[in-house]
Amino acid sequence: MSGLSSLLVPMEGEGDHSGWPPSAESFNSRPLFPELGPNFAWLNNHMAQAVIGALIVIGVWLWLARRHSVVPGKRQFFGEQAYNLVRNSVARDALGPDFRKYLPYLLALFSFILVNNLFGELFVFMFPTFSKIGYAYGLALCTFILYNAVGIKKWGFAHYMRKMTLPEGVPWPLWFLIIPLEFLSNFIVRPFTLALRLFANLFAGHLVVLVFVLGSTLLMSMSEPIGQFSVGLMKTAGAVGIVFSFAIFALELLIAFIQAYIFTVLTAQYVASSLAEDH
Amino acid sequence: MNEQGNADQGLRIISYLISGLVFYGGLGWLADHLLSTAFWLPIGLILGTVAGIYLVIKRYGRA
Repeated sequence: MSGLSSLLVPMEGEGDHSGWPPSAESFNSRPLFPELGPNFAWLNNHMAQAVIGALIVIGVWLWLARRHSVVPGKRQFFGEQAYNLVRNSVARDALGPDFRKYLPYLLALFSFILVNNLFGELFVFMFPTFSKIGYAYGLALCTFILYNAVGIKKWGFAHYMRKMTLPEGVPWPLWFLIIPLEFLSNFIVRPFTLALRLFANLFAGHLVVLVFVLGSTLLMSMSEPIGQFSVGLMKTAGAVGIVFSFAIFALELLIAFIQAYIFTVLTAQYVASSLAEDH
Repeated sequence: MNEQGNADQGLRIISYLISGLVFYGGLGWLADHLLSTAFWLPIGLILGTVAGIYLVIKRYGRA
């Protein structure tokens, strides 16, 4: 496979990449211990950073939840604000009175995605984990299992399938036309687009960052003119590019937050729609 | 319906339209492929779009 379609399949890219020009190959993982051979190639830098992300999430929440007092200090205040964001504006809005059951999953999901997205802008990793589509598929699979499981548990399998594949008020001659569409939409397209939205935003964002930073660095390191472009012009353009890359980084910080938020919101909505009486 | 519900609704409507195009367009493509014809794909695409729009109206057109 080549081109865009190969991006959508979670496979390890082959071969080393020199870094210029930035391309889909810039996203290839490196095995952490190449000397152990191909059997340990799954133990790569991006998997390690996802695990570290999970540990950070666990650590930060444990730290924020420790030693609470009636009058909150700065640490407790911050923790409560972050918790309230997910609790009030995501879980309670979407799920109504019995939102509490789903709150741990939603909060974990939100903080895990946010931390991993911020890895793309911060030092040490400089790579958003979810710009590898396999990780985004993994999260969407968790959400897929959750919203179907709660739906089946509440309604029973047959009733749930009927509810999810047949809207009310459709005359029976049209059923054969509608049922495959509802099935495809509810069980395949929605979870798939959930993963794609997260992946594509981070992939594109990280690629833009790479182009700006690496391109500007390359321009600034020019020592002889190319065609009608003088050395001074290229160095100036490179310097301007570096300055602009900070604007791109700021945009990426915003996108990191928005994507974590929208993924959590949609997960809550999917759960709500499989619990709803009718829709 | 709150703001997030609206976002979800918009995305679901897109997902219905995509499903219609993919499913019936795919059937049309398959028919063309097997029968060596060239007219089933456009028929499938149009039928799929119609079915998708019908579904959106059925689901959300009441309010």
